[in-house]
Amino acid sequence: MLISLNWIKKYVDIDIENDELVKLIGARLVEVEEAIDQTHKYDKIYAVQVKYCEAIDGTHLHLCKIDDGGKATDVERDENGYVQVMCGAPNVHEGMFAAWIAPGAIVPQTFRDEEPFKIGMRKMLKKYDSYGMMAGADELDLGDDHTGIVELNPESTKPGDDFAKLFELDDIILDIENKSLTHRPDTFGIIGFAREVAGILGKQFTTPDWLKLDNCKLDSNKNVKLDIEIADGQLCPRYTALVLDSEAPSEKKYLSLQDTLLARSGMRPIDPIVDATNYLMLLTGQPLHAFDYDKFVAVGGSKTPKIIVRAAKNGEKLELLDGKEIELIESDIVITSNDKPVALAGAMGGKNTEIDANTKRVILESATFSLYNLRKTQMAHGIFSEAITRFTKGQPAGQSLPVALQFVEMLKNFKLAAAFDQYPGAVQPEHVAVSLDQINTLLGADFSMKEIEKTLQNVEFDTTAEKGKITVTVPYWRTDIHIAEDIIEEIGRLNGFDNISPVLPLHATADPNPLFALKSKIRNFLSSRGANEVLTYSFVHGDLLKKVGQNPENSYRIVNSISPDLQYIRQSIVPSLLDKSYGNLRAGYDKFALFEMNQVYSRENGADEDGVPNPTHQLGFLLVDSKSQSSYYLAKKYLTQLLEKLGIKYSLDELESTQNAPHAYYEAKRSATINADGRCIGYLGELKTSVSRSFKLPQGAAAFELKLEDLLALAQDVQTKDRRISQYPSVSRDITLEVPLAQKYATIEQGLRAILEDAGLIYRLGATSIYRQGDADTKKLSFHIEFASPEKTMTKTEIQAIMEKLEQVK
Amino acid sequence: MSSVEESKIASLKAQLKQLNQEYAKIKELPAEKRADFGKEMNLKKQKIMAEIAEAEAAAAEIDVEALDITAPCDTNGQMPEFLTADFGSQHPLMTELDRVMSIYQSMGFDIVESRQLDDEYHMFDSLNFAKAHPARDSYDTFRTEEGFIPPAHTSTMQNRVLKAYKHKLDEGQAIAVAVPGRVYRNEDLDATHEHTFYQCEGVYVSETCTLGNMLGILREFFEKYYGQKLNIATQPGYFPFTEPSLEFKIEKPACIGGKKGDFLEMLGCGMIHPNVLKMAGIDPSKYHGFAWGGGIDRLVMLRYQLDDVRHFESGKLDFLKEFSC
Repeated sequence: MLISLNWIKKYVDIDIENDELVKLIGARLVEVEEAIDQTHKYDKIYAVQVKYCEAIDGTHLHLCKIDDGGKATDVERDENGYVQVMCGAPNVHEGMFAAWIAPGAIVPQTFRDEEPFKIGMRKMLKKYDSYGMMAGADELDLGDDHTGIVELNPESTKPGDDFAKLFELDDIILDIENKSLTHRPDTFGIIGFAREVAGILGKQFTTPDWLKLDNCKLDSNKNVKLDIEIADGQLCPRYTALVLDSEAPSEKKYLSLQDTLLARSGMRPIDPIVDATNYLMLLTGQPLHAFDYDKFVAVGGSKTPKIIVRAAKNGEKLELLDGKEIELIESDIVITSNDKPVALAGAMGGKNTEIDANTKRVILESATFSLYNLRKTQMAHGIFSEAITRFTKGQPAGQSLPVALQFVEMLKNFKLAAAFDQYPGAVQPEHVAVSLDQINTLLGADFSMKEIEKTLQNVEFDTTAEKGKITVTVPYWRTDIHIAEDIIEEIGRLNGFDNISPVLPLHATADPNPLFALKSKIRNFLSSRGANEVLTYSFVHGDLLKKVGQNPENSYRIVNSISPDLQYIRQSIVPSLLDKSYGNLRAGYDKFALFEMNQVYSRENGADEDGVPNPTHQLGFLLVDSKSQSSYYLAKKYLTQLLEKLGIKYSLDELESTQNAPHAYYEAKRSATINADGRCIGYLGELKTSVSRSFKLPQGAAAFELKLEDLLALAQDVQTKDRRISQYPSVSRDITLEVPLAQKYATIEQGLRAILEDAGLIYRLGATSIYRQGDADTKKLSFHIEFASPEKTMTKTEIQAIMEKLEQVK
Repeated sequence: MSSVEESKIASLKAQLKQLNQEYAKIKELPAEKRADFGKEMNLKKQKIMAEIAEAEAAAAEIDVEALDITAPCDTNGQMPEFLTADFGSQHPLMTELDRVMSIYQSMGFDIVESRQLDDEYHMFDSLNFAKAHPARDSYDTFRTEEGFIPPAHTSTMQNRVLKAYKHKLDEGQAIAVAVPGRVYRNEDLDATHEHTFYQCEGVYVSETCTLGNMLGILREFFEKYYGQKLNIATQPGYFPFTEPSLEFKIEKPACIGGKKGDFLEMLGCGMIHPNVLKMAGIDPSKYHGFAWGGGIDRLVMLRYQLDDVRHFESGKLDFLKEFSC
C-alpha cells in the first residue's frame, strides 16, 4: 500500500521532521518498507501558458512560444520573453495552460529509473530549437494518458507557478507492508492511517463529520424503483445503494489535485465516476462500485428492479469489466439484478452494467461482504485489486452509508435521487473494560489513568474511568478490539513499546534436554572421526522411495508440494544421504562419510493420543569409498565404537529379507540388525548392488541407522566399564586360531573373552587379521592379547594353562 | 547363479530375439497399419526387457556372497581405519542450534524439540486462528492427504508445552521453554528463501511476568549470543496468538559488521493471547505469559557472511568442509 504523507497531513498537524515521523510510524504502527522521497521529483517543472501555437505543415508538430513567468534559466527567449518549445500533442492550443518540464529537469516518469532522463534543448526537424517539453500525464507520472498534454485550470494557474506547489507534489510516499495490518481494516484508508499518526504523536484526532455514523440522515425518495434483498446476512452484512441522476454531462478537462493523489497512491485517473469511487476508497478504506442504472434494470428485465445479493451457483457465468468471462463458484458472492449476475461482489463489476459516456443514472454500491468468501474469490479468480485487498481485511459495515453519501457530494453534476440501505444485523458498539493495574502489570509500565485516557481519546475511543478501571467504547472502525488485552496493546503501542524498560526476571538454569545432549555427543564423535554432518530435506521424490525399495504407500504424501521432488515425507534418512553422494563423488571426493540426525515419519509408525503421526528420531550414516570393494567393516567400526562410547551393550545379528521394509536398501546377506536390550535398534549393512547402481555409487557402499529414542533409553551416562590396570607384570601374546570358514568371528572372540574373564584376569584383546589361504575351507583368526592377574605375578604354569585354554577356542 | 535362474534368463532372451525378428516384418505391412503394429511390439518388448532385468536382479541377489557381519575386517582384508579427523564437520545450523539452546538453558529454559508433522489443531486452532481465517493462508503451509501439516512455525508446539509444563505454575514457578525445530513453508527456492528452515520458539508464563520482562529476556539472549551490550527496538506486529504482538530488532552487532542505527529484525513476539492460555487449561485471569519465534538460518548466515540459504540442505562437501573441525 502506498501512502502519501501530504495527504495524511491534511488530517493531522505534523510538527516533526519527515525522517522522524517515518521512524515513529515504523516503531508504533507498521513496517515501512520504503519511504520514497519525491520532494524533488517535480523540480523545475512549471505551469506555462501557450502564447503562440503554429502547426508545422506535413508534420504532427507545433511550434509554440510559452510564457513561463521568466522562471527557466539556460533558455533563449524571444523579444516578449517567451520560450520556444515544439509540441506533438494534438490538443495543444494557443491560450492553454500546460505543465512544462524545463531544461535541466528530470522527466518524472523516469524518476525511479537507474538513470533518470534529464531533458534539455533539442533541435527538431533540423532547424527548430525546442527547450524542455510540455508534458502528458504519463510523462508526469500522473496517469497512463499519452493522447495529449495535460491541461491546467486557467482560473487557478499563473505562468511560472511551480507545478509541484500547485498540486502539493513535494511529497514522501510510504510503501507499507500490508501483512502486519491484516487485522486493521481502518488503516487501509488515509483517514484511518492519519488517526493512527495523530495517536502516535499524542495529538487529538477528529474524524470528518461526514464520516461519523450519527451524522448520516437518509432521505429516502421512493420515486426511483429499486429494492435490495440480501439472501444471507453472513455473506453481506450491509448493502447501501444510492441512485444518482445526471444533471449535466460529466466533463473533465483540467488536471486536479485528486488526480495526483490517485496517482501517488498507485492508481490511475480514469473517468469522473470511477475516480470518485477510487478516491473515496483510498480515503476511507471503503470500496465503492457504480452500475449504470438503466443497464441494470434492462439486465434484470423486471418492472420491479431488485438488487439481490446471494451466493453464486457453481457454473454460473459472468463477463467482468476487464472483458474476461469467468465461471463462478459457490463460495463467490454475486450481485444480481433480479437474480441475473451483474457483479462479482468485492472483486469486479460486470460488463453488462458498465458505466459509459451515455450513463444518465448511476447506482452506487457501498457494502460489506464476508472476508472469508472474498478471500476464496480472490484466490479462485486471481483478482488482487485495491478494492478486494481492502475488503479482505473486513471493512466495517458502519462506514458504508456515510461514504456513499460523500460520493454524492463529490460528483457535482449528479444529484441524489434515492437511497436504499439494508443493514439487517446492525451491530451495537462494543464496550471493553480494563483496569489500570491490568494494563501496567501486563506491560511492565507505570501509566497513569490520565495518560491512558488521553491515549485512547486521541484516537477517538470514548472512555469512562472509575476507581482504577476504564471502560472503553470501541468506535465502529476498530473491528479488532474485543478484549482487555486489545486495549492494553493500544496503550503500549501508541506510547511506544520501546519506552518500556526491559527487565530480566530472576531465573535458575534448566537441565539439558537429553535428546539434544545425545545428538551433540554423536555429532562430536562422528565428526571428530572424519564424518560430515549434513541436513537434507524431509520431503523426497516418490521415485527415490521406489529406488531404495520403500513402499510409497507407507509415506505421508504432500498434496500441494512445490515439485514432485518434494512429494513424500521420508521414512528414513539413509536414502537422502544416498541422493547427496553422487554430486560429491563428481566434485572429486572419492571417500567420505555423511550422517544426519533428524525426524522421519511413516504410516506404520502410528499416531499419538491426538491422532498426530509419531516421529522417529533417526541417525543415518553412509560411507562411500570408490577404492574399496566393501565399506561394511569401516561403517561397522563407526557404529560399534559409537555404541561403546554411549555405553550401550549390543549384538549384531543376521538380517532377515528386507523386501518392502523401510530399510529395504540393505543387502540382507551383508547386513545386520543391531540389537540391544532385546530389541532391534537399527540396521547396519552394505547397500544392495541395484541400489548403489541406481545412485551411481561404487559397489560396497555401506550404511547404518539407529533409532535415537532407543539410544536415549539405553545410553549410560555414568559408565562403569572396567578400566583397572594391574600392578603386576602383564603377559603379551599373539595367537592364531584356525576355524571353519563359516564360523562367526564373534563366537571366537566371545570364547576368548569368556576364558579370560572366568580366570578373573585384567585383559585387553584385539583381532589383528583374518586370513584364508586360497580356497581353503578354514580361516585363521589372529589376536593380540595382553593379560595380568590383579592379585599376583602369574607363574609360567598359570600362563601356560590360560594359553592352552585360549587355543582350544573354536 | 543357479541353473533355474540361468535358464529363465536364457528363455526370456530368446523370446526377445524372436520379437525383434517379428518386428522386422513391419516393412511388409501397409503404411496405415505400421503405427499400431509398432506400438504393440514395443509394449511386448518393454515387458520382456523388464522381466529380464528383474530376473537378473534376482539372480544377482542369489550370487551375493555372505559376509561375516561380526568380524572386524574382511577375510584377507586390512583392518579398517577411520577417515582423517580433520576432514569431518558438524553442520553449522546444528552447532548454532546447540549454542542457542545452551544459552536458553543457562537462562532457565527447558528445551523441547518441535515436531515435523503436525495437525491443524496445533498449527492453528490452539493458537487462536479463527476458522478459515485468511491469516492461515499467509503461512503457506504444506498439507498431506490426511490434512496433516509439516508445521510452518515452531508455535505449533505452544499448546503442548503449556500443557506439559503447567504443573510448574501450580508449584509457584514459571513455565520457561525453548522449542527449536525444523519448519516448512510452501515457497519457491532462491538465495534468500528456503521451504525448509529452522526456528526457535520461546514460551514463558507466570503470575507476574510483563512485556518488559519479555524485552529483558530477549535482550539478554542476544547479548549473550553476540557477547556484547546491544540496543533493541520493536515494531508492532500481528499474530493471532499474541496480544500485543511485536517484531523485535537488535542493533546490528559490531562483530558481524554492524553500524550504529543499523537494526536487524530478529523475531516476532508478544504477550500470549488469553485464548491460547485457556485452550491449554491455564487461567488467563491469573497467569500471563509471552512467546516469541525466530529463525536460526539467518543467525548462521549473518555469522558466516553466507549469501545463499540453499547451501544448508545441499549436502555438498565443498560447503560442509568450510566447517571442518
